[in-house]
Amino acid sequence: MRGHPGVNDSRDRFQHVLDRLSTKAVDDYYNPYRLLEWPDSLPDDMWWMSPELTTTHGTAVAAGLSEAQLRALSKYESLNFYSLNVHGIRDLLIEVTRRIHTSGYEEPSRFFHHFIGEENEHMWFFAEFCLRYGGRIYRQQPAGERAAPQRKETESLLVFVRILVFEELVDHFNSLMARDTRLHDTVRAINRIHHQDESRHIAFGRELVGLLFEDVRRTADEGELDAVAAYVRRYMTYSFESLYNPRVYRDAGLDDPLGVRRKLLDSPERAELERSVFHRTRTYLERTGLLR
Amino acid sequence: MTVNDGIDVVRNWILSRHPERARIGPDEDLVRTRLVDSLSFVELVYVIENATGAEIDFDTIDLKDFQSLSAIQRAFFTTA
Repeated sequence: MRGHPGVNDSRDRFQHVLDRLSTKAVDDYYNPYRLLEWPDSLPDDMWWMSPELTTTHGTAVAAGLSEAQLRALSKYESLNFYSLNVHGIRDLLIEVTRRIHTSGYEEPSRFFHHFIGEENEHMWFFAEFCLRYGGRIYRQQPAGERAAPQRKETESLLVFVRILVFEELVDHFNSLMARDTRLHDTVRAINRIHHQDESRHIAFGRELVGLLFEDVRRTADEGELDAVAAYVRRYMTYSFESLYNPRVYRDAGLDDPLGVRRKLLDSPERAELERSVFHRTRTYLERTGLLR
Repeated sequence: MTVNDGIDVVRNWILSRHPERARIGPDEDLVRTRLVDSLSFVELVYVIENATGAEIDFDTIDLKDFQSLSAIQRAFFTTA
């Protein structure tokens, strides 16, 4: 992320966005350990997440289940969703912490402090919710090697694209569930708080990805740019499919959990949900030229 | 499900994702040949779990156990 002639406008804009987001992070600062209220238990028969956001909504699988079963399923789906948040946040904290105050990250490091602090608090309240009301955090595949070895610039770009895709995915759910009056106050509160902070993180992520991509595009050939686009496309699908966890279907008492996952992934409703969840993300990535 | 049935399910799942392939050798490296990559790995774990009926802990996974069909058979489908 070094300066290059001809990109001063982008860097000025980045600096301006960093200043604005850092100021807003200070103004919006809150203490989550005091702010959130945690009832001892939540009713098992409530909607734990908006029914329209569950993976079975409108599908043939849902048609074979009673409303009581769908509500029970919504509990395990919500636990999976918050578990994904816990693991996604841990992965992004590792990557951002690895880069803060290192060469090439002088400009964003000031905002990284807000980012790391806020993400740590998000991870705490999502884990607290899972453990308090579900007694478990669903395990996920560790980040590990998710792309073939890359040169340093491309590797950093893909790291921050992954972070951005993850944040935009979960924010779609957070923003809708924060406003859903069918949901319990505690559920709405954690979604609302997360959405409030993520709006800033997404704005930051888009600026950073844009700059990192400018650096990569300047030195990459067409083959490498095609490979980056193909990887990002696959990563978006992979992220979305992590919502369809057979362990969730098993815990909700559904027969043939892997078969349920496969049926749901192949259903037209899945394609529609994926399109709606990633609509803004895809538009942004196509506008930057990252998706081609 | 017998031991052989289990590994057949895994083999068939991989082949279903690679129509260009007719067979997979028992010791063929699944990662190096890109039959399984990091993004499809999670599905492989779910397929094995479904065949064995036992949950695999992602936090304690040893990648060597997934390197080939024979490694998968030894790690997950061999009765003591």
